[in-house]
Amino acid sequence: MNELATIRQLATSGMEAQAARLRHVSENIANTDTPGYHRKTASFEEVIQAGQQTGKVKIGQVELDRSELTRIFDPGHPLADESGHYDGSNVDLVIEIADAREAQRSYEANLKMFDQASKMSASLLELLRK
Amino acid sequence: MFKKLEIFQMASAMARHAETRQAMTARNIANADTPGYKASDLASFSDTYKQHTGGIAMRGTRSGHISETGAFNPAAIPIAGKGSESPNGNNVSLEAEMMKSVEIGGHHKRAMAIYNSSLGILRTSLGRR
Repeated sequence: MNELATIRQLATSGMEAQAARLRHVSENIANTDTPGYHRKTASFEEVIQAGQQTGKVKIGQVELDRSELTRIFDPGHPLADESGHYDGSNVDLVIEIADAREAQRSYEANLKMFDQASKMSASLLELLRK
Repeated sequence: MFKKLEIFQMASAMARHAETRQAMTARNIANADTPGYKASDLASFSDTYKQHTGGIAMRGTRSGHISETGAFNPAAIPIAGKGSESPNGNNVSLEAEMMKSVEIGGHHKRAMAIYNSSLGILRTSLGRR
């Protein structure tokens, strides 16, 4: 029974982490056209409590993607320099969509685990009936 | 009283094994995107149970005998998963984990069914319904 509770905690931590990742992805997508915006990335790490690995997962420090910003040619833009270019964002929509899809898949997998644990504990409690 | 009956012991050990293995699967799935994470799995129930009870282990046949009374502990032998490694050092395969989780769910169900039907037999022998 204790293990089943652990499963649900693990699955919940996974879902929280994936949801946070999806939030960063949507922030990136929303800011695709923001001049000078650096894409946010965050990687996952294991939760360590009292020096022990719990198996849970959390989202780590948010970092900015340091790759080159795209140079956009638009002489009429207020931020344009002498050559008529200005700095756009370094968000690549294809990467963001792929990332979002991956997060969704992992979220679903965690949800299924939660469901499976619930079914197992339900069948365990079923023994008490009769 | 039921603890003494081997079939109940085995059914509950099987259920516990399934729970622990499911927890490991949950851990793998939660960490499916953690860089450097290595998947882990438990040895199969038959291997674990045999190691715990069968073969060379001593058996207490009289009340005076010293027997191995340690509780069945399925967490004893974690083995490394077999998935291929992705560039960030993570070797969790979501598909394999999902398949495993369904399989474990079936094992747990089976253990519950065994327990339940044995309980039914016991009830019948007591003359109640």
